Amino acid sequence: MSDDAKSAILLDRRQLLLLGSAALASGALMPYAASAAEGTLVMTINPEPNAMVSAFNTASPVAVISGKMTEGLLHYDFDLKPQPALATSWEIAPDGLSMTFKLRDGVKWHDGKPFTSADVAYSIMEILKQHHPRGRGVFAKVTAVETPDPLTAIIKLGEPTPALLYALAGWESPMLPKHVYEGTDVLRNPANNAPIGTGPFKFVEWQRGSHIILEKNPDYWDKGKPLLDKLFVRIYPEPSARVAAFEAGELHLGGDGPIPLNEVKRFQDNPAFKVETRGTEMNNSLDVLETNLRNEYLAKPQVRKALMHAVNRDLMAKTVWYGLAEILTGPIPKTLPHFYSADVPAYPFDVAKAEALLDEAGYKKDAKGTRFKLRLIYPTVGDTYDRAGQFLRQQFRKVGVELELQSVDVPTFIRRVYGEYDFDLSMFPASVTADPSIGLQRFYQSGAIKQGTPFVNASGYKNPEMDALLLKAAVEPDAGKRAAMFKRFQQIAMEDLPILPLVRPIYVTVANAKAKNFVTGPEGVRSHYATLSLD
Amino acid sequence: MRSISFILRHWTTALGILLLAAVILMALTAHLVFPGDPYDMVGAPLTWPGESADTLLGTDSLGRDMAAGLFYGARVSLLVGFASALVAAIVGVLVGAFAGYYGGWTDDVLMRITELFQTTPQFMLALAVVAVLGPSVTVIILSLSAVSWPAVARLVRGEFMVMRERAFVHGCVVAGMSDLRIIFAQILPNVLPVIIVMSTILVATAILMESALSFLGFGDPNVLTWGTMIGMGRGQLRDAWYIIAIPGVALLLTALALNLVGEGLNDALNPRLKQRKG
Amino acid sequence: MSAPRRNLPFRFIGKRILQAVLTILGIAIINFFLLQLAPGDAAEALAGEAGTADAGYLANLRREFGLDRPLWEQLATFLMRIATFNLGYSFRYGETISTLILSRLPATLLLMATSIVIALVIGILFGVTAARYFNRLPDRLISLVALLFYATPPFWIGLMMILVFSVWLGWAPTGGMRDITAPDGGIAGVFDIARHLALPALTQAFFYLAIYTRLVRAGMLEVLSLDYIRVARAKGISEQRVAYRHALRNAVLPLVTVVGTNIGGFLGGAVLTETVFSWPGIGRLMFDAMLQRDLNLLLSILVLSSVFVVIANLAVDLIYPVINPTVELR
Repeated sequence: MSDDAKSAILLDRRQLLLLGSAALASGALMPYAASAAEGTLVMTINPEPNAMVSAFNTASPVAVISGKMTEGLLHYDFDLKPQPALATSWEIAPDGLSMTFKLRDGVKWHDGKPFTSADVAYSIMEILKQHHPRGRGVFAKVTAVETPDPLTAIIKLGEPTPALLYALAGWESPMLPKHVYEGTDVLRNPANNAPIGTGPFKFVEWQRGSHIILEKNPDYWDKGKPLLDKLFVRIYPEPSARVAAFEAGELHLGGDGPIPLNEVKRFQDNPAFKVETRGTEMNNSLDVLETNLRNEYLAKPQVRKALMHAVNRDLMAKTVWYGLAEILTGPIPKTLPHFYSADVPAYPFDVAKAEALLDEAGYKKDAKGTRFKLRLIYPTVGDTYDRAGQFLRQQFRKVGVELELQSVDVPTFIRRVYGEYDFDLSMFPASVTADPSIGLQRFYQSGAIKQGTPFVNASGYKNPEMDALLLKAAVEPDAGKRAAMFKRFQQIAMEDLPILPLVRPIYVTVANAKAKNFVTGPEGVRSHYATLSLD
Repeated sequence: MRSISFILRHWTTALGILLLAAVILMALTAHLVFPGDPYDMVGAPLTWPGESADTLLGTDSLGRDMAAGLFYGARVSLLVGFASALVAAIVGVLVGAFAGYYGGWTDDVLMRITELFQTTPQFMLALAVVAVLGPSVTVIILSLSAVSWPAVARLVRGEFMVMRERAFVHGCVVAGMSDLRIIFAQILPNVLPVIIVMSTILVATAILMESALSFLGFGDPNVLTWGTMIGMGRGQLRDAWYIIAIPGVALLLTALALNLVGEGLNDALNPRLKQRKG
Repeated sequence: MSAPRRNLPFRFIGKRILQAVLTILGIAIINFFLLQLAPGDAAEALAGEAGTADAGYLANLRREFGLDRPLWEQLATFLMRIATFNLGYSFRYGETISTLILSRLPATLLLMATSIVIALVIGILFGVTAARYFNRLPDRLISLVALLFYATPPFWIGLMMILVFSVWLGWAPTGGMRDITAPDGGIAGVFDIARHLALPALTQAFFYLAIYTRLVRAGMLEVLSLDYIRVARAKGISEQRVAYRHALRNAVLPLVTVVGTNIGGFLGGAVLTETVFSWPGIGRLMFDAMLQRDLNLLLSILVLSSVFVVIANLAVDLIYPVINPTVELR
């Protein structure tokens, strides 16, 4: 190597060194000012949404982001009573076979075109009924949407579907513009990643892996709203990074449990933050153990009852969920008061009872104190399930049941549990939604045993009384009769125990103390956020 | 000055041996020191170290004794580290030695295979293997050795490429020595110091990579490793940092010990360095 | 420097490029089949996120993604896409793969370049110094620091740095690549990125730094005892010159190998740093693609990283004889 060449390299090195130290100095010496401009707010969504419109994908993060840009026919209050949104009034025929919606006048899409009943008809018939993962079931009985005038939409039903009224929020069943989607490949439509809705915020930019920017819709029908000029969504894959970002003032808002459970108490005690425990009443995600009744041990009802008695769920809620959990008495949580019933078979923590039941089932302890082994499979999402699994293993061991933990990623979980039935016990979040006909029928009705379909009856549970009851409740227009049916449902569910309900974890919403109106109803962070502000 | 550093040198090597012995002793006596089940809840959750006489190192978020976890964790962490490093070193040395010594098509074929393993970024390949086969100790060892050996192979190959041009190797060839003998009896001892330094790095890397897999949620939930302890405790970084700090320090000390021992061995085994010191 | 037979490097490069294409083809096929072994597919991943889906919905998705086609046809489609540089759509994002990769690549390259340069500069300085003061105080100190960096999990260093520098001292942001609430561009934009880059680059650099220091030190000690260095010293050439000019050049062989490996492996290796610092790079994209069975995207990134590794390895082999003329290219 010539000396010239070498000195050139040395020069390069020196320059690089200088550049490097400049980068360091700028990071180390200049105080980082975490300040948002006037009228802006930074929230986080975890994990990153994989689409911007919740019509084709109902993943929770997609619902959160979509709900800001797209609207539905209705909103809901904390009592889960429908409230006006794109529809200003609605009427259900006494036979439950048609629902008439009067639409709001003067609503415009983000591209300036007017919103009409034709959009409602198109959204329901061509998008939600065809492509929405839940909507295909919820709207299954919809035979037509009639549009006598631009501001009236009449949903015609082949059978009464009382649950439908609870599925019309903007984040669940968004109304989409017919003129943008008609005649296109709707799944590949560019508007799925850059939505054109009627909501208070318009889409600006999505830098994948980093952030999403939304801006105020100046032509929003609710004059003077939204209060924010810009809404930023920042993606933080690591929960402890979100804690740090909240504390540094860079991040103002996050829902669905944005910080580790053990941090919640500290945030609650800190006046710089607000922690809200409401705002998930339309989701009602429960942590449950589904039993595989094809397993010789679990096929015996005594074994399932024994497992319920073996778990100290009070202690479990305190240690695994840091007290942020409602201990379930059955498959319906107290957050659905019009359906909830406490009058069900109960399984208090009782090791002696559990042992007696297992003895009765004919499984004696061997020399090592073990009766039999089971596998517990669960998806790897955060560390709560790891902790829950290890807790359960210790509790089951006390009554002679060895548990092998299988922590797998989501696709593996779905393939093993629902595709191959290759599991003994599965632990997963079961979403009850706002209506048991939508959220629970799929787990307890034998018609829902469909190998290869995720989040349906995988236990193989079949009880003719239960089957008939659930089918009847789904089409019962009378609210009182329906509640009675679901009371009976809870009793059978807790007697047969195809699913062992553990807890309803409380997913908190965390906000900077300056944030206002971040949880205004059961929709929580999924809400449109027209009134959200940061003072 | 020389004598001070001489003492210092032996002192650090001794420290390394001592630390490593302590860790191995912990692994061997775990069931004697803590006869109970290390997964059992023995106290209130999140007891700080020193707060209770029963649990000197505190308890984790499920009320399990940190000290017991540390002892039982030593077993699996050491097993994962040594087993995967051993497999990686053996495969890597074999492949690297033949490729570097023979060159030509042997080198081509072996390096193509090495490249196939290396063309996927190390940590991603380990993750992919664990994701495909499911997180268990065996799979984790397999995945860590699968990603570690190519680095050894390339290093050894590079050394062999240089060595085979050295005069003494030419001498051996002229003297009619067999290739295998030249590789294993003549060149390998000369390359050994580098391999030893590399191997100590490999053990430490494997233990650290296991903790990284656990950090991303790919640890074996059925056994306690220091990695899973850190992985499970990372949510408590702010309010109970000792849960991460204690196994973290254990990891750090073990890796440190391995490195100190490796250096001591390097000094002892490398004849040229010995000359220089003398 | 002596350069025997000038045309050799070109023939060498030609041969290696042919090999590289074959290697990439091989790894593409192996990866394709390895990932087929993974339980569950993209449709199930999306259904899992959605929390619900019926059989018809899954069937639609699989048809949409081409997952209902025979395996050989999927492989052929995949290979054709690579050959024509038209990588197709990501299952999960409904976006072209080239758009996704291009939007994430700069972040990763920036992080890689910065951290490796920092690590190399400090690592060589440390390694050479340690070797020159073999067994004396500077050597002891440097070795200790390198060992400590090495023995600490990088993601843990990252978390601690966030704790200290972002939360306690408020000097640096906790994550991300730029302040999304500020207008971008201009000199302020460059400083903004530099400020966000500092912690992740240092975290990543610490780890490499430890390796480089150790390798340079070990290599230098090896070489410093060789005859020609003694000769150089005997000639009265200054220690400084001996250390940097003569010894270092021969000592960097293992270093070059490892740096090559680091550069090649960086695309996926940065997943931890990218996770801790919310850095919007390729590593995280690949990790998510794996968890989502977004095989189109995942395989494309894997092939891209293969190209990266192959280029890095080729560069290493080309640099070898430049550093050490006794090594021949073949």
